[in-house]
Amino acid sequence: MGLKVKIDRMPRKKIPGSSIIYLPSGKYLKYAASGYSSLLADIIYLWSIQYYSDYNISDRFDYLDHIFSIIAELDPHYLDPYEIGAIIAVYEAKNFDKAFKILDRGLEKNPDEWIFPFQAGHYAQMIKKDYELAQKYYKKAMEIKGSPALIQRLYANAAFKATDFQTAWKNWVEIYQTAKDERIKKIASNHLYQVKAAIDIQAIEGAIKRHIEHYGHNPLNLAQLVREGMLNSLPQDLDGKDYVYDPDTGKVKSATIPWKR
Amino acid sequence: MKIIAIAFNTFKEAIRDRILYLLFFFAAISIIFSRVLALLTVGDRIKIIRDVGLASLSFFGVLMAILIGTGLVYKEIDKKTIYSLLSKPINRYQFLLGKFFGLIFTLFIMLLLMSFIYLVLVFFHTFEIEWETFPTIFFIFLELCLITAVAIFFSCFSTPILSSVFSLAFYIIGHFSWGLETLINKIKPGVGKTLVQILYIFIPDLENFNFKTEIVHNLPIPSHVYLFSISYGIFYTLFILLLAMLVFRRRDFI
Amino acid sequence: MESVLTIKDLHKSFKIGFIPRKKKILNGITLSVNKGEIFGYLGPNGAGKTTTIKCILGLIFPEKGEITILGQHYLSLRAKENIGFLPENPYFYDYLTASEFLSFYARLFRIDKRKKEEKIKKLLYQLRLEQSVNLQLRKFSRGMLQRLGLAQALLNDPSLIFLDEPLGGLDPIGRKEIRDIIVEFKEEGKTVFLSSHILQDIELICNRVAIIVNGEIVNQGNIQDLISEKIYFTEITLSGVDRKILEALGESVSIHGERILLKVFDQDKVESVLKLIRSNNGKVYSLMPRTQTLEDYFVGVVKQK
Repeated sequence: MGLKVKIDRMPRKKIPGSSIIYLPSGKYLKYAASGYSSLLADIIYLWSIQYYSDYNISDRFDYLDHIFSIIAELDPHYLDPYEIGAIIAVYEAKNFDKAFKILDRGLEKNPDEWIFPFQAGHYAQMIKKDYELAQKYYKKAMEIKGSPALIQRLYANAAFKATDFQTAWKNWVEIYQTAKDERIKKIASNHLYQVKAAIDIQAIEGAIKRHIEHYGHNPLNLAQLVREGMLNSLPQDLDGKDYVYDPDTGKVKSATIPWKR
Repeated sequence: MKIIAIAFNTFKEAIRDRILYLLFFFAAISIIFSRVLALLTVGDRIKIIRDVGLASLSFFGVLMAILIGTGLVYKEIDKKTIYSLLSKPINRYQFLLGKFFGLIFTLFIMLLLMSFIYLVLVFFHTFEIEWETFPTIFFIFLELCLITAVAIFFSCFSTPILSSVFSLAFYIIGHFSWGLETLINKIKPGVGKTLVQILYIFIPDLENFNFKTEIVHNLPIPSHVYLFSISYGIFYTLFILLLAMLVFRRRDFI
Repeated sequence: MESVLTIKDLHKSFKIGFIPRKKKILNGITLSVNKGEIFGYLGPNGAGKTTTIKCILGLIFPEKGEITILGQHYLSLRAKENIGFLPENPYFYDYLTASEFLSFYARLFRIDKRKKEEKIKKLLYQLRLEQSVNLQLRKFSRGMLQRLGLAQALLNDPSLIFLDEPLGGLDPIGRKEIRDIIVEFKEEGKTVFLSSHILQDIELICNRVAIIVNGEIVNQGNIQDLISEKIYFTEITLSGVDRKILEALGESVSIHGERILLKVFDQDKVESVLKLIRSNNGKVYSLMPRTQTLEDYFVGVVKQK
């Protein structure tokens, strides 16, 4: 018994059957499968789950995309492998490109599945912190019929994080107008506040910068900027309140925290 | 009718063949094993069960068709039971057709049994009887009929071993039809190309009967595809049987 | 005399060998069989007897020649409905019982369903197989199989029956049984075409014969016409005479222990031989004149070829 445990723990160079890596591209494999391609996809998928669970194989991610592309060729409508492949790529291999490639392929072969761009957007935003990419993916997901309303919210939020304020504003307005219950309305309104604040503050800070360039020091207050013509008018936040300016630091912020409204 | 008499007799003969039960046993094991295999997957378990199950039905069905079909005519000739039979007032084509129908009836029964095991297993997973699977199984049966005709055709002039090899090759190439098409475009003109073209024309595209993937993903199948596949299958089977009858007509039984 | 089977100038070759070479099996067979007779078809092994029968039955296709059965073209269904065939070394479907087997074959004729049961019972009784109605064929003895083969040949009450070596492998009792059955056919007005190389049996039951050697008919006709009635040789069993003296006679001598068997072919010599034996104080045990048998005739004919 002890011996068996010892042997199990010894590192094994390769799992039997890992020569699958040398399989030709999925197209040809489909022919060889002679009508059993769906089954073959299953078998390869099952094998891959075992393969990628074996931490002893250090170079197991080299062919991740290759293997999952084979599965996709054999049975393009088999949805699980796309998701699992992406999960392995993100969490185990820590390779975003591979994950996105797999999910893109999933969407390409199954254009009605919003889950793929949704997951891609999620990985982009939460883990890679690439907000522009997230925005792109959420847009794709949004456009697919049947996708849940929540995706539009994610899209708007990602746009905001990517500093694409116009898009964010537009979408939050839409969400506010089409909101079915009060909770969503509140969320939308808070976000609108946040976006407006960001836009306004951006404008104000631009004016402050021009003032500093001109005069070499922070302005005393915001009204001064209007007098000088650096700013056309003094914007107010969504609730009609003024923005708070600290002349020492030169920073502007909104009077209220959006979530505490 | 005389064809029915021979068919019935063939059925009695085929149903006694032990190979049938051996293959059935393996098919049953294979279907049940899919349950075990399904445990290994992350995600949708029923897909594995469906895939393995349907593939088993198809694969073992084809083996049954080939192994028994190639023996049928040969055994009669070898054991000389054919002498007393053909000296009776029957046409040779009646003999062949009788053999054919006897065998496909046997396959029908075996397929029914295997389908039953499959559906029971699926039932235990989804707690519903998947009636949608029946068209797919019907098409597997249609494919089996075609392969049976091919096996009988080969057994009219060849030994069982060679006939089995040819029939199996026919089956594999039949599924490979798309590949042949690509191949034709890529090979330079010459003997090789002509050979592949001939293969492509004569060997039917068996993928026409393969709806396993569709049914596993619950994809809808337009009715004109059904109709086309059914007529394709029937015509091709008739064609092969006709060839077999031609070969058989003037054959000397030494 | 009405002819039930006519064969004119039948030719058949086979391609034999890996590099196919044509071997001529039948080289112009012509014969005819009359109604109500038992016709014997004789020849050594490989002469073409079975090939001829297979041609007649449509199992083999001849290169040349005409065959007519009961006035019909030999391949027509009408012809087939009136003939029966017992192949050599019959083998049928093991797993069927006798009645299942006959029932199956009966379905290939247009026999009325009700009459079918009766007929099968009658046939099995006639051929002494009534004990084995529900016995599986795999359990049948050789003799039983032979009789069952006859049963299937008789299902349609044929007027012309072909028997290929029906007596092969049977013990003497079995052979007698089959011979009796064949004679019964004749009495029922059926015609029998009997192919065999066991001459004793042919001699016992056939009326006319044809002899085929190397694919050609060397002779055909009534047995009495072919075999001369004259004495072939005289067989004398004796003792007490010195062998050399006997050999000097120029006749066939063979020794069996104390006795000497002398075959005298020249009938004129018989008297002088007897005198010789008496003068030598020898003893004569038996004296038998033998007429020519079919076997003798046959061997002579084949040797000539």
